[in-house]
Amino acid sequence: MPEHITIEIDGTKVQAEAGTNVLQAAMDAGVYVPYLCYYPGMKSFGACRMCVVEIDGPRGTETAASCTVPVGPDMVVRTRTDDVQDLRRNIMDLLISEHPHGCLNCHRVDLCGPQDICLRHVGVNDRCVTCPKNERCELKDTVRWLEMELDTELTYNNRHLPQQVNDPFWDMDLNLCIVCGRCVRACDEIRGDNALAFVDRGGKGLIGTSIGTSLLESGCEFCGACIDVCPTGALVERDHKWDKAVTTYQSTCNNCAVGCQVKLEVDKRNQLIRTIGDLHGAPNQGQLCVKGKFGLEYVNDKRRLRTPLIRRGEDLEETTLTSALDFAAAELAKYRGEGFALIASPRHANEDLYIAQKFSRVVMESNNVDVSSNLRPELFPALGEMLGYPAATNTIWDLELAKSFLVVSSNMTEEQNVTAIPIKKALKTGAKLLVIDQRETELTRYADLWLRPRPGTETALIGGMLRVIVDESLDDHEFLSKGVNGVTDFKNSLWEFDLMQVEQITSISREQIQQAARIFVENGPGAILYGLETVEPVDRDACVRSLIDLAIITGSVAKQAAGTGLYPLYAGANEQGARDMGCVPSHLPGHSLVNEESAIDRFNREWATVLPSNPGVGVREITEKITSGQIEAMFLLGNSENFKNGTMGEFIDALGDLKFLVVADTFASEITEVADVVLPAATFAEEQGTFTNMERRVQLTQRAITAKGEEDSAWRILGQIARRIGVNGFDHPNSEDVFEEIRGMVALYGGITHERLAKGGVQWPCPAIDTSESSAPHTEGSQDKLSLTPIEFPEPQGEIDPSSEYPLTLAHGRVLREPDRKMEIDLVDKRNIIVREEILEVHPEDALVLGLSVGDVIDVVSERERIRGVVDTTSPLKGVVSTTTLFGSRLLDINQGATPDPMIEFGALPLIPVRIEKVAAQPIEAAAD
Amino acid sequence: MLCFVKNFAIPGARDLTVANEDLRDRIRQAIKRQERPTVTVLSSLLATQDEFGYIPREAIEEIAVYTGASTNDVWGVASFYKNFQFTEPNEHVIEICWGPSCHIMGAPEIIEEAAEVLGIEGEGDSVDGKGTLRYNTCLGACARAPVISIDHQLYGRMTAKKAVEKIKSL
Repeated sequence: MPEHITIEIDGTKVQAEAGTNVLQAAMDAGVYVPYLCYYPGMKSFGACRMCVVEIDGPRGTETAASCTVPVGPDMVVRTRTDDVQDLRRNIMDLLISEHPHGCLNCHRVDLCGPQDICLRHVGVNDRCVTCPKNERCELKDTVRWLEMELDTELTYNNRHLPQQVNDPFWDMDLNLCIVCGRCVRACDEIRGDNALAFVDRGGKGLIGTSIGTSLLESGCEFCGACIDVCPTGALVERDHKWDKAVTTYQSTCNNCAVGCQVKLEVDKRNQLIRTIGDLHGAPNQGQLCVKGKFGLEYVNDKRRLRTPLIRRGEDLEETTLTSALDFAAAELAKYRGEGFALIASPRHANEDLYIAQKFSRVVMESNNVDVSSNLRPELFPALGEMLGYPAATNTIWDLELAKSFLVVSSNMTEEQNVTAIPIKKALKTGAKLLVIDQRETELTRYADLWLRPRPGTETALIGGMLRVIVDESLDDHEFLSKGVNGVTDFKNSLWEFDLMQVEQITSISREQIQQAARIFVENGPGAILYGLETVEPVDRDACVRSLIDLAIITGSVAKQAAGTGLYPLYAGANEQGARDMGCVPSHLPGHSLVNEESAIDRFNREWATVLPSNPGVGVREITEKITSGQIEAMFLLGNSENFKNGTMGEFIDALGDLKFLVVADTFASEITEVADVVLPAATFAEEQGTFTNMERRVQLTQRAITAKGEEDSAWRILGQIARRIGVNGFDHPNSEDVFEEIRGMVALYGGITHERLAKGGVQWPCPAIDTSESSAPHTEGSQDKLSLTPIEFPEPQGEIDPSSEYPLTLAHGRVLREPDRKMEIDLVDKRNIIVREEILEVHPEDALVLGLSVGDVIDVVSERERIRGVVDTTSPLKGVVSTTTLFGSRLLDINQGATPDPMIEFGALPLIPVRIEKVAAQPIEAAAD
Repeated sequence: MLCFVKNFAIPGARDLTVANEDLRDRIRQAIKRQERPTVTVLSSLLATQDEFGYIPREAIEEIAVYTGASTNDVWGVASFYKNFQFTEPNEHVIEICWGPSCHIMGAPEIIEEAAEVLGIEGEGDSVDGKGTLRYNTCLGACARAPVISIDHQLYGRMTAKKAVEKIKSL
């Protein structure tokens, strides 16, 4: 427990944690002290001086900015004396002398409209009502609270600066800036991006970017943190800029697995206008990423499906919900059995996923049920077998306390963006980062050691690290001797990992492998985060096992402490929930296998049915099974980028082979075009539900907007069809009732109630109402010892046949900025765009074979795309072409694309087979250099 | 006017975006030559200014890469100090001290006449590319006030007439 100090604030004795500042102590005690530059969670800055208070302290009575004074024993603080209030008003006079303030201290500001005749001669442009942050302006609130007189002696000095409105999502009007520096500090302290800085000096000092360039060049990740902290209208979201929020709902973002807690602001026209990160949200602590901050606009889109469609001949025709459901039920009833498959989207709530798998298993008698993001299922089972639960061991913000990190093949700054924030914070305080990845990603820029093994040799590399750890006796002897089985077998298995051989197949030098092992162990035990995006499916399970071995022998899972553990980084938002709900082909709810007899018995009893016991078909095999005719009817809940990006094969084409297809989705797409019945689906903003995030935290979404048409949530649609087919057990009146059934069926969720969830997310395992949260349940009080798995030296991968159509591999990375590369920002249609030549790095030997020299223009061609760029012969891996593009370019593509729900297209960056086509030899002038 | 706009309005500022490997090499060498116990953003900016007489846009980027700071932070430091300039200076730099001693001894008149002979109003670059006029708060030679410096060479006990002659003879 932290030490507490008693101080007196306005005559009341309060307890304050030692080390906090007086301002925070006052706020914690419920005493309001005005402030503009301080922000909870950030360091004190002392720029605005608004928080001045009178303090009787060790230095006698002084008037000091309370945000910069730490609490001390026997302090007496007076926050609202006349002197202090006068001082604050004077300070505010100075502050607002460069902010339009005609309205700020006007007595009728709340009554004024933009067009009203103004007796105070405030121009329309300078009025509060025309400011986008009018309803949430901290400056205005502070002026009102100070009860300032009608006039200030200082005249308003308009800066007359042009507005910056050319970057995506984000508008900046520096005429409203009070230079509190919150945005600069949020970008630096919290996000670690430094995309904004203080520029110039003195009276001219403001915030800005390098040489006033675009955010696209300055390294911005468009997370919107600066907008959320800005106390004035200087930084605002462009969408719904002037819209006024009527209600705010607490909810959970469903664009990735972090499950950020958000406040959804809804206006009077039933539109979701803004998303603001919840400062008290456990997974995100107020932070969001571009997908959450700006990517939820799709719920308002006019192109949303609102009425059911039914196929009549070639065309889809609008129909009533009843007839669509009747038709779907009648048709689906013909395909009961293993010819049916259901694919849900990871954006669905636990309730939807639970009912989806129950529908598939009980109504349709088929285990072919999966979520569309489940393309890397190998990330989980080994965790379950070796550590007890198929899920991450620790929480996201535990990472802040880690001393070393190993990130294996994951582009987490894009895919699980907020997870990278605690990592970047820890790195600032001296933690070490190892990255194993062929692609250059944002994290590789921060890495102390970035290892680029030859594709398919990650397991060998990790084996090499394990060997070094054992050889150099860096393992946690005490833990291994007490709590671990199979140590000898495991150590014996490492004999195969001769470093010479490892070096040969991975192309990582021995010294680097040793260095990696030492960095990880000597600073640790550390946290291991793995996405295995670039690892071949056949290698993934072995790779996960070797990583768990690494966590065990370094004692990382034993400590149960913050800053250790294993984190699988999967793609879908509620993929953990899908796994817990049994919305996967291999498992029933609660992680029991579909052919486990005791589990089948229990579910047969509870659901009054006879469950199929053959493991079902998952998304990875589904295309093949459709083409071969084994699957005849399908139910698709929601769309996915995976349907068309080739990771599931020619899935869209295969859908044509189906005899019957029902799609429940929010937008018309390629999949609705071939459907027989299309049902409009509700989004997360229109239905209450629960989502389970990557740290096993179950969190609520609330109904924020009401349905405008017939759209409904998946569990209700499926329930109605089930009832029509004549199966009982689908009569849930509301989503809470579905959750009650889940609680009963999934022991891990047993103690999680809506009552508890309303106060904040609850982590499983939570078997009973009185179970408190535990961060690392995997080893807690377990009677069983952990086991190490012996690892096998992977077979060296055969060289890719040079005569094949795509003989090379493309490692495509993405970073926020590359200041040493030439780029320009051009203005096209009032929007900034990036103009940059891409560099394609080829291995010198490959270049020799292909007859390429530095400076040649080539196309890298894969099955689905073509990238043009200039050759450089700097790739460290033979057979691998690598290129690094800018996050900003991808963002522009997405922002300017026509799709209504662009964030699902953000997409992972897998290794893809490519070939090179020469476009032009290097220009003659360049050759002469 | 504020910095943000000012830098957009620097004539020819966009020309500096042209990537120039020779220039970048010179910048890199200048930064790497530093022999200070600690190499900082500021010292790297100084090294660049010493090398070129100004700070090209590429230097902001190269220093960011070299020191591990973001370009924005480097720019924050660079734009804070008056002594850094971001356009190529003219051939000769004429600094006129306008500290209290020099002011009393007649600096205002020297400034006026020097600006007139350079064809500018106050601080700035002359159009012919010959001279750049800057004010200096103190050149540290008050005993010899009024003082001007031409290309870091001090000239004391100036008069407007002598200063104009010196400038004309450049």
